Amino acid sequence: MKRYKILLILFLTLFASSCEEVIDVNLETAAPRLVVYASIEKQKGSTGSEQKIRLSTTTGYFDTVIPTVSGADVRIINSDKVFNFTETSNPGEYKCADFDPNIGEVYVLTIVLNGETYTATETLKSVSPFTKIEHKNDGGFSAKEIEIKAYFNDPAVDDNYYMVKFKSGVSAIPFYDIFDDSFTQGNENFGLYINENLKPGNTVDITLFGISKRYFEYMRKLTAIAGSASGGPFATAPATVRGNIVNTTNPNNFAFGYFNLSETDYRKYVIE
Amino acid sequence: MKFTLKKTSLVLFFLLTHLLFSQENSVGSTSKQKFTLSGIVSDKNTKETLIGASVFIPEIKSSALTNEYGFYSITIPKGSYTIQISYVGYTTVSERLELDKIKKMDFSLAQEGQQLEEVIVTNEKKTSNIKKPEMSVNKLSGTAIKKIPVVLGEADVLKALLTLPGVTNAGEGQSGFNVRGGGADQNLILLDEATIFNSSHVFGFFSVFNPDVIKDLKLYKGGIPARFGGRASSVLDIYQKDGNKNAFGVSGGIGLVSSRLLLEGPIVKDKSSFLLAGRSSYAHLFLKLADNPNLAYFYDLNTKINYKLNQNNNLFLSGYFGRDVFSINDSFVNTYGNTTLNLRWNHLFSDQLFSNLSLIYSDYYYGLDLDLIGFLWNSGIKNYNIKYDFKNYISDKTKLNYGVSGIYYDFNPGIIEPSNATSGITYRALDKKFAFEPSVYIDADQKISENLSVSYGLRYSLFYRLGNSTVNIYANNQPVVFNIESQIYEKATPIDTKQYGNNKSIANYTNLEPRFATSYQLNENQSIKASYNRMTQYLQLISNTASPTPLDVWTPSDQYIKPQILDQVAVGYFKNFSNDAYSLEIESFYKKTKNRIDYIDGADLIANEAIEQIVLNGKMRAYGLEVLLRKNTGKLSGWIAYTLSRSEQQTPGRNATETGINNGNWYRSGYDKLHNLSITSTYEHSKKWNFGANFVLQTGQPITLPNGQYEYGLNGLNGLNGPNEPNEQPITIPSYGLRNGNSLPAYHHLDVSATYVPKSNKKRTWRGEWVFSIYNLYGRKNAASISFRQNETSGSNEAVRLSIFGIVPGISYNFKM
Repeated sequence: MKRYKILLILFLTLFASSCEEVIDVNLETAAPRLVVYASIEKQKGSTGSEQKIRLSTTTGYFDTVIPTVSGADVRIINSDKVFNFTETSNPGEYKCADFDPNIGEVYVLTIVLNGETYTATETLKSVSPFTKIEHKNDGGFSAKEIEIKAYFNDPAVDDNYYMVKFKSGVSAIPFYDIFDDSFTQGNENFGLYINENLKPGNTVDITLFGISKRYFEYMRKLTAIAGSASGGPFATAPATVRGNIVNTTNPNNFAFGYFNLSETDYRKYVIE
Repeated sequence: MKFTLKKTSLVLFFLLTHLLFSQENSVGSTSKQKFTLSGIVSDKNTKETLIGASVFIPEIKSSALTNEYGFYSITIPKGSYTIQISYVGYTTVSERLELDKIKKMDFSLAQEGQQLEEVIVTNEKKTSNIKKPEMSVNKLSGTAIKKIPVVLGEADVLKALLTLPGVTNAGEGQSGFNVRGGGADQNLILLDEATIFNSSHVFGFFSVFNPDVIKDLKLYKGGIPARFGGRASSVLDIYQKDGNKNAFGVSGGIGLVSSRLLLEGPIVKDKSSFLLAGRSSYAHLFLKLADNPNLAYFYDLNTKINYKLNQNNNLFLSGYFGRDVFSINDSFVNTYGNTTLNLRWNHLFSDQLFSNLSLIYSDYYYGLDLDLIGFLWNSGIKNYNIKYDFKNYISDKTKLNYGVSGIYYDFNPGIIEPSNATSGITYRALDKKFAFEPSVYIDADQKISENLSVSYGLRYSLFYRLGNSTVNIYANNQPVVFNIESQIYEKATPIDTKQYGNNKSIANYTNLEPRFATSYQLNENQSIKASYNRMTQYLQLISNTASPTPLDVWTPSDQYIKPQILDQVAVGYFKNFSNDAYSLEIESFYKKTKNRIDYIDGADLIANEAIEQIVLNGKMRAYGLEVLLRKNTGKLSGWIAYTLSRSEQQTPGRNATETGINNGNWYRSGYDKLHNLSITSTYEHSKKWNFGANFVLQTGQPITLPNGQYEYGLNGLNGLNGPNEPNEQPITIPSYGLRNGNSLPAYHHLDVSATYVPKSNKKRTWRGEWVFSIYNLYGRKNAASISFRQNETSGSNEAVRLSIFGIVPGISYNFKM
C-alpha cells in the first residue's frame, strides 16, 4: 500500500520547481513521554540469543540530544521462560544474551519504571528469504537514479506483511519500505529503494522483516509522519502514532514505541 | 427538531397545494381580464439568449426575469403599458404595448460596449437584487471573469469565484473551492445541467471551464431553490453559450500556458446554431526535470448545438470532454478528466407553462500507470440522469417550479492490473457500486405584497444503494473498533458477508428538504432577506486531504456511511446607494451538517475496498459574516469582499470509553479561514487601455504542528550481523498536538493586469486585445505547506516551507472575428 505514497510525493515534486526553504518555526514542547524501541530480530541462520531494547523519552522537536531512560526493569516472558534485559554501559540500552526466539510464539514485554508498569504482547513472525537483489542505473522517475529491488517470494497462503530496511552511507536515515501482499498474493515481491545520491561502489545493507498486521499498520503511520509533510494540500492531518505498549498502572501516561518480533533476512549489497 | 421539520414540511405542502388549486380561481374570479405576455430576450448581434434579463412594467410595478433559456412570461390585467427590458451591460429597451390578448414578444438588446462614455437614461432602477427573495447568490458573466488578473494571465472561473465573499480554497494551485466553510466535495457543479465531478485541471492551476464558452454563472451559497439537490454546501450553475445564430464567428486566445479557439455560427439561419470550442495547454510546461521525456498537459472540448423546431419547441445538445495527462519518463502516466453529454428539450405547453426535459450522462475517469512497480489502476464514476422541470408562470405575483429527476450511479472504485508481463501485481477489481437517486420537488415564488416576497419549496429525495454487491457484516454493526488498551481506532474484521443481487436494495434513505427564502423591501433601495435550506448529500468523496486530489474516489452512502444532512439559515441586508452606483450586501450564516465523516488516524484510502472500516461519523458546523461592497458604474469599478467565518468538525466517541477524533473536541476543518479579504478592481482608462488589480489577504490554512520528537531505532551496533554491518541509525519521529491547532502564515498577494485594445480597422472585422499581467507583484512567498523532516545528509530536524509561486508575469492575446 505504501506505493501510493509515491504518488503524493510526486504531486509535490511537480510543484517543487517552485521553492523550498528551511525556515524557523517556534514550536511548543509537550511534557516528556517514555519511548520504547523493542524490536526482536531473529536473523535467518543465527540463534538470535543477543537482543537489545532501547528506552528514551520525547523532547523538543529541534533539540539535538535525546534523553535516555535508565534504571528500568525490563523483561520478556514466553510460555515458560523469563528473559531479563540489563542496562549496558550505553545509557538507555538494555541487553539480553540468552534470548530464545521461536517462530509463531507469543511473547510479553514488561517494563517497570518509576512504579508504573508497561506491557505489550506480540507474536514472532516468519519471513521468506531473499531470492535475488538487482539494481539498475536508469531507475526512478527521472530514469537517472540508482534503483535497487530486493526480491523474495510471497507464500500463497496467508496475508503477509513486510518491512524492508535499506541502510546506505549516502543517507543519514535508514529507509523503510513497508507493504503487504494484497496486490501480489503468492507472487514474487520486492522491496524498492531509490536514492539519487547512490553511486556505483556504494554498499547497501538490506534487511527483510516478516511483521504482524498490527506492526505493519504502525510502521506505515510512523514512517508517513517521519519523512513527509505536515499541513499542505495533499497531506493528511498528522497525528500522534500509538504503538502496542500499554501503561497498565496509569493508562493516560502512555508510552510511544512498539514491541515487535520478526524473523529477518539480511544481505549486504554492493552496487557495481 | 424532527417534529418541527415535519410541521414545516406540512405547512409548505398545504401552501403549495393551495396555490395549485387557486390558480384556476384566480383567473376566473378576477374582475378584470388577464392576459399573458411571453417571449425570449436575446443579444441583438448573436441572438444568444440572455439569462436573468429583467422585464419590467412600470405602470403596475410588475416584473419578471428570463429563465435559463431566455424565456419570460408575465400575466397581467388587460391594459396599455410601457415595457422595459434590461440586462447588465446592455442598453435598456423600452416599448409601448397594448395588451388586449395573449401576446408573444421577443426582444433583442444591444451591448453597451463602446458607448461607455454615454449616459444611458433609464426610468427604471435596476433594483431586482433588492426585491427578489433570492439571497446568498453570486453571479458572474464571462466578461467579468476575464477582467480579473490571474496567475500566468489565463482567465479562470474558479479564480474569479475566489474573489467573492464566502468562497475560499486551500491555496495556490489547489483544486476545488470551499463555500461557507463547506468541503470541496459539497459543491454541486453543473455545466449545462450536467454534473462535473472534478472542477480542476493540473491539480488546480486551472479550472475545467473554458471562459470563452460561458454565458452565465451563478453560485448559490444559501437559500438554494428546491430544484437543486444532492450536495450539501453550494450549487455552481454554469450555462454554455448556444452559439451565434446570426453569423459565423471565430474567437480565441494565445497565452503562455494554453491556447483557445472557439467557432460558432448558424446552421440554419434563425433556427439552429452551433458552438465548438477547444482549449489545450502546451506540454512540458510544468515539469522542468531536465531533458527527460516528461509531459504534463490538459485539453478540453466544449460543444453545443441547438435547434428550434418551432415557436414552442427547442432542442439543445451539449457536451464537454476534458483530460489531464501526466507522463514522467513512461514510468508514470496519469490521465484523468470529465465527460458530459446531454440532450435537452424545451417545450412550451402554454404561454404560462415552460418545460425542460433533460437526458444527461456524465462521468469522471481516473487512470494511472506506474510502470516502476508494474501497476495499472483505473477508477471512476458514471451517472445517468433524467430530469423533467416545469416553470409555471401563474400570475405576475406567483411562479411555480416543479419537477422530477432520477439519477443512476455506477461507481468503479478501482481496477488494478499488472502493467507488464514481469509485474508481480495480480489483477483485482474492487467491487463495483451502484445507486439510484430519484427526487421530486415543488417550489413557489410569490409576491405577497408590494414589499414582501417569499419563495418556498420542498424537495423529496430518495436514495437506494443497489446491488450487485457483496457487503461486509460486522460484530455489533461496527466496522471500526476502538482498541481501549492502546486508545486507537482500528479496522474491524468482518464476521460475515452478504451478497446482494442485481438492483437489490442494500440500504435506502428518504429525506424531506424544505427550502425557504423571503425578502422585505424597506424602501426603493434597501431590503432585508432571510433564508433557510436543508440539503442532503448521498455521495461522499473519499479524501482526507485539505484539497481534493484527482485520485480521490466518490462513494455512495450505504448502511454504514450515512448521507450528510445540512441545515443552513442566513439573514442579509441589501442596499443600493448613490443612484445604484454602489451596492452593499451583508449576510450572516450558520450551518450545521450531520453525518460528516472523518478518517481514523493513518487511514489508507486508496484501493480500499471497505471504506467503512476507516471512517467515523461526525458533524460539522460553520458560521460567519460576509460583506460585499460593489462599485457598479464609472471608470473605476469592482468589489471588496470580506468574510469572517469559522468552519469546524467534531467526531466524538460513540460511547464513553472512546476518545473520538481529537478527544471528541471541536477542531478546525482543513479549510477553516477566519479572515478572508479580497479586493477586485478594474479601471477603464480609455478605449485602448484597461487596468485591473486584485488583492487577497486571508488567514493561513490550518495545520497541525509537532510538539515534540523521539527516536525510533537502535543507536549503534545491534550485533546481529557481525562487525561489518554499519551502526544502526534511529529515525526521528515528530509527535503531534491537537489536530489543526495552528495555521500557516497569512496568505496574501497582489496581482495587476493591463489590457491593450489596438484601434480596430473599421473595414476589417478582426478585433484583438493584448493582456499583460503580473501575479503576486511583490513576490510574497506564500506557504503551501510547512513540513517537518530529517535532513537526509545531516540527520537533524528541520522545518521546510514550500511556496509555489513567486512573481509570475503573463501575457496573452485574445482575438475575435
